[in-house]
Amino acid sequence: MKDGLDIAALLGDAVGAMAPTVFAALGGLLTELTGMLNIALEGLMLLGAFASFAVTAASHSLLAGIAGGVLASSLAAALFGLVAIKGKANEFIAGLATNLLASGLVVLLSAKLFGTKGVVSFSLPPLPRLEIPALASVPFVGAVLLGHDVLVYASVLSAAAVWLLVAKTPFGMRLRASGSGPGAMAALGLKPEGYRFAAVVASGVGCGLAGASLSLGLSAYVPNISSGRGWIALVAIYLGGRNSFGVLAACFVFAAAESYSNYAQGFLHASSEFILALPYLVALVALVAGTLWKRLRRKPA
Amino acid sequence: MDRRSRTELAARWGAVGLALLAAFAVAALLLLAFSSSFASALGLFFLGPFKNLYYFGNMLNAGVALAIAGLAASIAFATRSFNLGGEGQVYVGAIAAAVVCAATPAAGGAPGALLGIAAGAAAGGALGWLSGFLKRSLGVDELISSFLASSAAVYLGDYLITGPFQDPSSNFQTTAAVPAAFRFAKLLPPSGLSSGSFVALAAVAAAWFLLSRTRFGFELRMTGLNAEFAKYCGIDTGAYAASSMAISGALYGLAGSVLILGSYFKAMKGFSSGLGWSGLAVALIAGRNPLAILPAALFFAYVDAGAKAVMVGADVSSEIVSVVQAAVFFLVTARALDELFLRRRRGGAPEASSVPGGFGGEPTKGDGGPGPGAPGAGGRA
Repeated sequence: MKDGLDIAALLGDAVGAMAPTVFAALGGLLTELTGMLNIALEGLMLLGAFASFAVTAASHSLLAGIAGGVLASSLAAALFGLVAIKGKANEFIAGLATNLLASGLVVLLSAKLFGTKGVVSFSLPPLPRLEIPALASVPFVGAVLLGHDVLVYASVLSAAAVWLLVAKTPFGMRLRASGSGPGAMAALGLKPEGYRFAAVVASGVGCGLAGASLSLGLSAYVPNISSGRGWIALVAIYLGGRNSFGVLAACFVFAAAESYSNYAQGFLHASSEFILALPYLVALVALVAGTLWKRLRRKPA
Repeated sequence: MDRRSRTELAARWGAVGLALLAAFAVAALLLLAFSSSFASALGLFFLGPFKNLYYFGNMLNAGVALAIAGLAASIAFATRSFNLGGEGQVYVGAIAAAVVCAATPAAGGAPGALLGIAAGAAAGGALGWLSGFLKRSLGVDELISSFLASSAAVYLGDYLITGPFQDPSSNFQTTAAVPAAFRFAKLLPPSGLSSGSFVALAAVAAAWFLLSRTRFGFELRMTGLNAEFAKYCGIDTGAYAASSMAISGALYGLAGSVLILGSYFKAMKGFSSGLGWSGLAVALIAGRNPLAILPAALFFAYVDAGAKAVMVGADVSSEIVSVVQAAVFFLVTARALDELFLRRRRGGAPEASSVPGGFGGEPTKGDGGPGPGAPGAGGRA
């Protein structure tokens, strides 16, 4: 990297780094629309990351790995949904339990399958990258938008797909209704619980993809690989105004903060602990600022 | 207590008992799946903690920190607030206690130790207060803000331990050791059980007194039981919710300082205790009654000690604890279990609204919109 701040490279890093948060936040957006705050995103993502890594390592097939991650994460999400919706459990406690379950299970499985609780890495097939030689030389576009792995582009497409699903389909309308008017919905003979459960499982799918893009992007499984991204995703849902494109934008801002702090580590000589704390601080400040902003808008002077 | 609430309480205890049994079943299943010699692992898990005084004392000692952490979580629960920042609050509490005690002249004796404890509680309390303050003044969700602030605090704590407070004479990433004069006395050598256990007992007694015998405690509980009614009675519910977050943080900080003065004597980098999450589990089992914190903490101390025995003696890592905890969370919080018991006792389907939302002290979010996950809230509206 050059001495000056290379904006294009920085933005490019941010685009490359945002996929996990985007996938998780889109999944979480669906549960949020049904009126549930899904704090299980973090654990689901961790489980997805481990499962997709383990399956890819065993099968040497990226597709199988991604499918494995999605399956594991959705199963855990279904358990969460079962307890929270069918079992009428407090959804926050049930979400915490899902996180605890995931963090414990992943370490147990890692010790059993790979003989270590630490970093596991194999030479896995890398995720294919989008390279368009004709456009690579175009300034900015080449550096920012090209050369990322396919899951990054998939995450952006998913944002559009979620928007279509939520805003334009009957299913999406009912999904929203299960959050905003469950009583009216029940009066029409529809079951809000069913839509909530579907949304929870969908959040599992999103987190599975998020986990896959974390571990397959690294070709390694690192303990606590999700490192708070599930929580950042929650803040992104909130800041994005419960709209999938807003969520996408918020995730990009968080990813930019992350890649800036990685970059800043090089010249600020700040201790790495500060850098690690930065995403949480940014999310906290954003949460406070977002709440303040909404308050001010609600009460015009 | 009228007949109906007694029936409900009995149902709740039935559900809790069932959940605890299921937790043991989950532990056994995990051992079956992850250990190469199931029988010996099972024996270690269930009997290991009682093998000798050393293991037994260490189990009790783990219960000390768990009890204080459980108290911390339950004070927040009492106003239906969620303090998910326990991990960071324990950590900053431990660092503050270690640093203050190491800097105090050893001649300070007991007051020096008290100073360290107070510093720990103040550090944790400040972190908890931040979330309470943000909630009260701006309406920022305390659940997320406490988690974010605590996660940042963990890393900043790492920085403090490896930077300004690093013990220059040590090769490890740790603060200087607390002088022997400030350490809690060992009660059951060679085990770690120390006079810090009296701190836990005193904290439990104080919390019981505060909640059930003072006006402050009454209004605090009212805030959690029925915020609308409390507001109507002129209780500043926002202030009580915020102070319960601060008290909760202070108790987590206290747990951290007791760990330092009783067990570790210095704050090491990454000594993440998991206490923030275990505290929630303890509080959930104990429910509203602070005195029930003690048996609940001992239960988890037992599970923890069993897992440690298995880790040392067999080939299973101690992370089975978090899976067992998860099972307890799932089962204890599932209202359906209560209804199962109620149905059996009444011989009919219970009205959902008659199930109290609160034995488990489980807060339901008042501001979460329609609150679909909060069937208990309907009963009090």
